[in-house]
Amino acid sequence: MSDFSRRTFVKSLGAAAMLPAAIAAPALTVAASAGAATATAAPDTPFYLFFNAEEVAFMEAACERLIPADENGPGALQAWVPNYFDKQLGGGWGAGERLYRSGPWQEGTPTQGYQLPFTPAELFRTAIRAINAEFSAQDKAFNALDADAQDAYLKTLQAGGKDLGGVPAGVFFELLLKMTVEGYFADPVYGGNKDMLAWRMIGFPGAYANYYEAIDAHGVAFVREPMSLAEDGHGHMHPANIPASL
Amino acid sequence: MTQVMKAADVVIIGVGMVGSIIAKELAAAGYKVVGLERGEPRFTVPDFQGPGVHDELRFDVRKALMQDNTREAVTFRNQVAQTALPIRRWESFLPGTGLGGSQVHWNGQTYRFQAQDFAMASHVRERYGKDFLDPDLRVQDWGVIYADLEPHYDRFEYLLGTGGKAGNLKGKIQPGGDPFESPRSREYPTRPMKEHYSGAMFRKAANSLGYHPFPQPSSNLSEPYTNPEGLKLNTCVFCGFCERFACEHYAKAVPQTFILPVLMKNPNFELRTGAQVQRINLDSSKTKATGVTYIDAAGREFEQPAALVITCSFALNNVRMLLLSGVGKPYDPASGTGVVGRNYAYQTMSTVASFFDKDVIVNPFMASGASGTLINDFAGENFDHSKLGFIGGSFIGAVNTNGRPINYHPVPPGTQAWGKGWKKAVADHYNHTVMFSIHGSSMAQKQNYLDLDPTYKDAWGQPLLRMTFDFPKNDLAMAEYVTGKGVEIGKAMGAKQVVGTPRKGPYTITQYQTTHNTGGTVMGDDPSTSVVNRYLQVWDVPNVFVVGASNFPQNATWNPTDTIGALTYWAIDALKNKYLKNPGRLVSA
Amino acid sequence: MNARNVCRLSLLVALGATAASAMAAAPIVGDAKNGAVLAAACQACHGAQGEGTFAAGFPRLAGQTAVYLEKQLNDYAADTRSNAVMAPLAKALSPKQRADLAAHFAGLSPPSTAAGSSAGAGVLARGRLLAHEGDEAKQLQACGNCHGPEGRGEAFAAPYLAGQSATYLAAAIKEWKSGARKNDGGQLMAAVANRLDDADIAAVAAYFESVGPLP
Repeated sequence: MSDFSRRTFVKSLGAAAMLPAAIAAPALTVAASAGAATATAAPDTPFYLFFNAEEVAFMEAACERLIPADENGPGALQAWVPNYFDKQLGGGWGAGERLYRSGPWQEGTPTQGYQLPFTPAELFRTAIRAINAEFSAQDKAFNALDADAQDAYLKTLQAGGKDLGGVPAGVFFELLLKMTVEGYFADPVYGGNKDMLAWRMIGFPGAYANYYEAIDAHGVAFVREPMSLAEDGHGHMHPANIPASL
Repeated sequence: MTQVMKAADVVIIGVGMVGSIIAKELAAAGYKVVGLERGEPRFTVPDFQGPGVHDELRFDVRKALMQDNTREAVTFRNQVAQTALPIRRWESFLPGTGLGGSQVHWNGQTYRFQAQDFAMASHVRERYGKDFLDPDLRVQDWGVIYADLEPHYDRFEYLLGTGGKAGNLKGKIQPGGDPFESPRSREYPTRPMKEHYSGAMFRKAANSLGYHPFPQPSSNLSEPYTNPEGLKLNTCVFCGFCERFACEHYAKAVPQTFILPVLMKNPNFELRTGAQVQRINLDSSKTKATGVTYIDAAGREFEQPAALVITCSFALNNVRMLLLSGVGKPYDPASGTGVVGRNYAYQTMSTVASFFDKDVIVNPFMASGASGTLINDFAGENFDHSKLGFIGGSFIGAVNTNGRPINYHPVPPGTQAWGKGWKKAVADHYNHTVMFSIHGSSMAQKQNYLDLDPTYKDAWGQPLLRMTFDFPKNDLAMAEYVTGKGVEIGKAMGAKQVVGTPRKGPYTITQYQTTHNTGGTVMGDDPSTSVVNRYLQVWDVPNVFVVGASNFPQNATWNPTDTIGALTYWAIDALKNKYLKNPGRLVSA
Repeated sequence: MNARNVCRLSLLVALGATAASAMAAAPIVGDAKNGAVLAAACQACHGAQGEGTFAAGFPRLAGQTAVYLEKQLNDYAADTRSNAVMAPLAKALSPKQRADLAAHFAGLSPPSTAAGSSAGAGVLARGRLLAHEGDEAKQLQACGNCHGPEGRGEAFAAPYLAGQSATYLAAAIKEWKSGARKNDGGQLMAAVANRLDDADIAAVAAYFESVGPLP
């Protein structure tokens, strides 16, 4: 992250030098302060591209209830699961990649699977808007509830039967939970599973995998630093803002 | 404006496993062969290389190697009375696309069917009497017998370099192998895979119960191998990224490793990728094909004339191609007449999970696609069904294929779906659980079939295939029975909790089960119940051959690939030695 | 001590399960301090800090995983890896001493002593291609599949190649190719080496040396 920021800064400086001083000065100032702020350490919070502030507030709170931090391992927030959602929903997947989208639309049997016209991005936007509206009508916010109250609300979504602006609550909850697990366990290159924390919790060694010698060591723990798709020869992780693409 | 291409001797629809083997043989015999593949050209280098190929999200969860269902989906319903709706995302089964086809993402599990499977209807009638079967079932003989196919199984396994231990060599039972298998003419070309810990535990428990465990036959290579085409395959490293992934090591037998490098060098063969075949063209008599029409990746339409058309795509797409082309009479479940789309079958998949304490370290991520240990004691006709009320069976095996954590994090029943309880259960059980696959047969049934959807279209404006399917009662009873046997093995392993999950109806497309879709262009001796004759030649249009799992009259216990390979060489034999010497009907109707 | 040296195969033999295999049967925990004393005998060739003597083709040992180093010493002792110099040295050591030496070298990270490659840009580019992508015409996969990103090694499967002596690497690949060396599992390296001609061996060896040691 720091290398990237420094390069951005240098590039801005070069461009600024070619502009009239009056115009260049503010740009230079912005670039310099941004560079100075991030050159020393990787950010400890995600930068959201897709979600707006209200959506972030709901998603961060909800994900953390689905996988809370505790003595067994990291929670969804610590693992940057909301960042995974942000990059997925803002990319091809959110736009309906690998989703057959022709009508006519009709409700099917449960065995026929998803039959709504919403793309994943539309589905989340629509459902969260409805949820946030429901809370603000009572002068409340989901993220301001205590954990038990948040859990109780999520259970009402899970139970289904509620309409979230056209999105059945059960459908929304199912995708929310499915993608939370994805973001928790996916390679960090996709923006969640920060520092491979979820892999460390269960002992999954990651993307680099060759167990020819180890496979016959029956019953023996295999303890190794996990390895990500995103790491380079120095073990640095590349910036994680990569949408999944097929 | 359709561009008419220079006529070929043979046009192949779909350059996957079947297409590339047939193309290689016919091109080598001097015929001009055009291979039409709808997907991308792709090779081990650079397309399958690490680390990118070990991406669970992209390949396993998002299914990057699969047929693009935004352009070509399948519609589905359980019953004729329902409206079929599009499978908007693949889950239950995963047809591949691209050069090498679905085999690129297979697991390498390479079983022969048993002699009884090919004469299923006669066998059941003789053993259990003519009234034993549920009258809704449509169990049939194949029109070939095991002895016809044995040399072709052998040839296919030696092409792939399949590893295993023979259990029956020319009628003599061999220690360490599967004693129930039908006779092999020789040993496997390579040795069995190393055994995973879960397999070793299973072996011990199965032995203690008097069963006959054996190493899973694998076409991920257990040792370096040079096949009869002169191509070298490497040893599998148990990376745990096999099914749904391509192999970076040239260690999985796929067309890219066992045949394409030879085929691509033959000037008699031309590969055209991005070629979406729209239909097989027929002359006015409707009994002769003149070639095919396809649309390329840029949207341009071409006609490829050919003397012989061979449909070699995924089973479901073979069926659809005939339906779109008016080749063969479509099946009508109401009247029971017609044949194309008839006898669609699947595989009946159940599981047993054995949960251990933390002192049993399983390492599920160390895995090949086919390094399990299993028993055939409850497979096929290897046990007496007379008092059981069903036919068919399952193998039971500790077939640990991966520990990729998005999709593999077993938890005991009753665990919360989320929250602290879920997380603790995942952390407690990830490395301490052994899963069995209960992999079962699927009988064809009158109500289960494939036809064209009246409403939904593909990206080219053609009707999607419509699947009408639910599990026959016979198969659910079988799953219940054999899963119970699996639970007993789990208990004998000493697990603290053993959970059997027999397959239940209704069939759902929302959950992965298997990509062993079979039937729809079945083979046989009777044109009123089969689409192709015993040589896989279409009864109604003799210059069209169809090869694939769509030829299976019903599905047997095991994974279909080895039998598809045997049928491929069987058809090649008929083509080279009979049909091409004297084109015409090989069997009189 | 970098993070990757923290890898180990813990011996937690399952209760009531099948007997642990040979790999787990004789766990020896190496003592790096004792290894440091023993390493005096290695200095002349492998350098005071295990940095190797590149021109002479004596490999860098520093930072290689203990599992790998211990296996090589055991293989020299058992004649499953042959080398006229190393065999008698390894045989003179007890299994415990070999583990101690392995632990010692695994914990070192001296700077590279590489003199700078004389290989041209084209050779290095060819080496880089083989390392990262492979060559379909030769049915040859990328080195990185097993040897990790940039050849930094993948515990426990494969040693690092980055920053290793090119002379040593080329000689080692030729040993795999000739069959003189075959102490890996599954004959994986022989399969790779057999697909490499002399020019490719030189290219891939020069490339990995040029990368320099990685953490």
